[in-house]
Amino acid sequence: MSKTDEVPHRFSKQGFSLEKAIRFFFASNAGLTIVILVLIIAFLLKEGLGFFPGYRRELEVYRIAGLEFVDLSRSNLTAHEQLSSVLNRAYFAQINGLCASELKRSQEAAAVFNAYSERSAATHDLIVSNLDAGIAPDSEMLATLRQNHAASTRKALAELPATPHLTRAERAALIQSIATREVSSKDDPPLVTALAAQYAAAQQTHAEPLAGLRGTLDAFDAAGTDLSALVSEMTVAVTATKEAIQAGDVLEKNRTTLVAAAAHAKTPAAREKLLADAQTSLAAKTDIDGPMQALMLRKPACIAAHADLRQACAGILDGLPAALSQPEAERLLRVARKAIPAFMANLEQAPQRIGQWRHDTPVPLTAAIGSFLTGKDWVTGGEWQDFYGILPLLVGSLMISLVALCLAIPAGVGAAIYVNQFASRLEQAVIKPVIEFIQAIPSVVLGFIGILVFGSVLRDISQFDSLAWVPGFPIEERLNIFTAGCLLALMSIPTIFTLAEDALNNVPAAYAEASDALGASRIQTSFRVIIPAAFSGILAAVLLGLGRVIGETMVVLLVAGNRIKIPDFSSGIGAFLQPSHTLTGIIAQELGEVPLGSVHYRALFVVGILLFAIVLGINATAHKFVSRSRH
Amino acid sequence: MVTDLPPPAAPLPAAIRIADLCFAYHAKPALQQITLDLPAHQITALIGPSGCGKSTLLRCINRINDRIPGARITAGSIHIHGIDINRPDIDLQELRRRVGMVFQKSNPFPKSIYENVVFSLRLSGIHKRSELDATAETALHAAALWDEVKDRLHTRALGLSGGQQQRLCIARAIASQPDILLMDEPCAALDPIATLKIEELLHQLKKQYTIVIVTHSMAQATRCADHTAFMDLGRLIEFRPTLQLFNTPHHPQTLAYVTGSFG
Repeated sequence: MSKTDEVPHRFSKQGFSLEKAIRFFFASNAGLTIVILVLIIAFLLKEGLGFFPGYRRELEVYRIAGLEFVDLSRSNLTAHEQLSSVLNRAYFAQINGLCASELKRSQEAAAVFNAYSERSAATHDLIVSNLDAGIAPDSEMLATLRQNHAASTRKALAELPATPHLTRAERAALIQSIATREVSSKDDPPLVTALAAQYAAAQQTHAEPLAGLRGTLDAFDAAGTDLSALVSEMTVAVTATKEAIQAGDVLEKNRTTLVAAAAHAKTPAAREKLLADAQTSLAAKTDIDGPMQALMLRKPACIAAHADLRQACAGILDGLPAALSQPEAERLLRVARKAIPAFMANLEQAPQRIGQWRHDTPVPLTAAIGSFLTGKDWVTGGEWQDFYGILPLLVGSLMISLVALCLAIPAGVGAAIYVNQFASRLEQAVIKPVIEFIQAIPSVVLGFIGILVFGSVLRDISQFDSLAWVPGFPIEERLNIFTAGCLLALMSIPTIFTLAEDALNNVPAAYAEASDALGASRIQTSFRVIIPAAFSGILAAVLLGLGRVIGETMVVLLVAGNRIKIPDFSSGIGAFLQPSHTLTGIIAQELGEVPLGSVHYRALFVVGILLFAIVLGINATAHKFVSRSRH
Repeated sequence: MVTDLPPPAAPLPAAIRIADLCFAYHAKPALQQITLDLPAHQITALIGPSGCGKSTLLRCINRINDRIPGARITAGSIHIHGIDINRPDIDLQELRRRVGMVFQKSNPFPKSIYENVVFSLRLSGIHKRSELDATAETALHAAALWDEVKDRLHTRALGLSGGQQQRLCIARAIASQPDILLMDEPCAALDPIATLKIEELLHQLKKQYTIVIVTHSMAQATRCADHTAFMDLGRLIEFRPTLQLFNTPHHPQTLAYVTGSFG
């Protein structure tokens, strides 16, 4: 039977049926999602993987231009400056601690006067400008202005800040002197001046016994001068070399582009022209050997400067007092004392390192990868050298997530257990929608609530003297890891709550019945049967909450403080009250400003890939737990 | 109905006395005026068509019906060893430890075999290893499961076969050494061989326990039960020694049911 006269069987379907169309519609939807996901991954990889060769070249330039050589000296110089700053802070903390009462009295009096000045500034300035500007003062208008000023003065005086360290009489005298103050007067009220003078006198009194320390510190400060001068001098030289190399790189790139274009040129004439252009582009070959030789001539000077610095600093540990009476000063002193041995050891090794440094040691690709994964600095857009080290961002993200989880797990899982196991119907009907409602708050709104309310309130609370024992208090930065963690906890509670509640709900009723029939009480059934049976589901809920926390951007960008630095763990738990930056935040903040295709741009893509991998890993693990929890 | 029947030939001490029991879900009556004395150390089967209330009656005996909102006893009483179990001062947990229950669908906890068996001991705060081990072994022996699982006591209970799981549930129920064992169609989800094993087990168990079993299978009732109660529409129709009930039913409804003309 030939094909043409093949008659379809009467059962066989004919044409493009509606059923097929519907099927196709849904299949294409599913297919589209998969295609888009694959495209996203491909795009991320394409943009991101170019980062490592680019970064390798930057690190190579860093070496061959001599920046690395200068940094060998500079790192010691920076350490010296930091140490010097810590010691000076300890010195002033000691003095200010000793005259704390004078300081507070002076500050409080000044605060009262400042509060008054701010509030009455508008009406005050109007009178003054009318009197000053040579405009014939209209007496009627002036009277009105004075009246207004008097009113605003009364109002301002009614709401002055508290002054717990001033006596009642002093406060009254201060307010009196403000109230009777001449409009034209530029002097501070007598009490403010007097207290400031008292404070200055107290400072001087307390500084006297510390004169020895002051001398040691001044000597220590001065010891770095030589090295500092040398470093600035070399900095100028190597920066010029680096710029020349970078310009050369641009020309080289032009040339390869032109040659590539020539290979595809349509006419021989066009090809000739392109090749000629390529030739001229090549003409200026960057000279790196000359500047490098000049730099290497400084080696002995660098080594000598280090030796001098080492000698000058050698006695520093002995020059420091055994202990300081003020706790803050003592803490800083301890920090400095702990840092000094490492600083001295580095100084000792410096001459050897400087002597052995060579500009032509190759920079392998693994160095770029290693520097990215374990680098402690993320420095971009600087005039010196860009570093793309992921650690500060990763640590920030992880610490924020840790805070968030520590708060969200008890709250979310606890609420889920209560609602599922113990709550009455009425309670269920109230609690569930309320918790789920949190999800409806846009994260940017949550972010500014976090800044304005939560951050400020927390910082104000931390200022109370009675809370000084809490590690990390008083908080210096309003925006910090803890604040961000709290808000993220709030954001992830609905996720954890809903999924954990589902997990508890999915535990078959037969388990509870069996447990009851064996004589278990309500609580025993919940804690010995239901919750263990839902455990993997609850774990999955927590992991999905974690995925949400790590991937969240807006809140951390607004609230985490965005300081790109690994928090200082020397203050223990207080590290959580320091500002930080995150993997997500850095992408959101910097991607809009980087030149397309630059190394920095690609670095952000690699951060994105890393983030993607982390969240994917978390979700995959969660998925595994979910499938295990099916009953 | 039942009341005018002659009493069993040799009166046995009743473990459970159900008197005039009426039971309702919300306003819907499920049991009406059930009066029944279940003899100790015997197996009593409850049979009847679906929805006749036999499971409800069984679940009244350990008050597991309390779990269902709106379910309550409207009249009558249940005495176990002479104590009214619906008195407000009854310790429900203690009652359920004395009256074990095995459900239609085996429901071991997602824990190890061992932890399933010692569950009720742990509830009473017993954590001494030797005591737990001894109880686990005794209970598993009694449930004829020991030989099959003794080498894998600490593996997941849900990895057992259906019949093994059901016997594990029996072991779990008898670990707290109850007096009475309630079984709600324990073999409904099992294959014939597993069913046979459970039935053999019942014969062993009745030496120690008073057993009440709800079953859909009249064959099972004839094989295992010493006494059988036939129920329909929430009422007890007839309660007599099993052979008598099946061979010479007094009531026409019973006759119709046991001969298969309805139900």
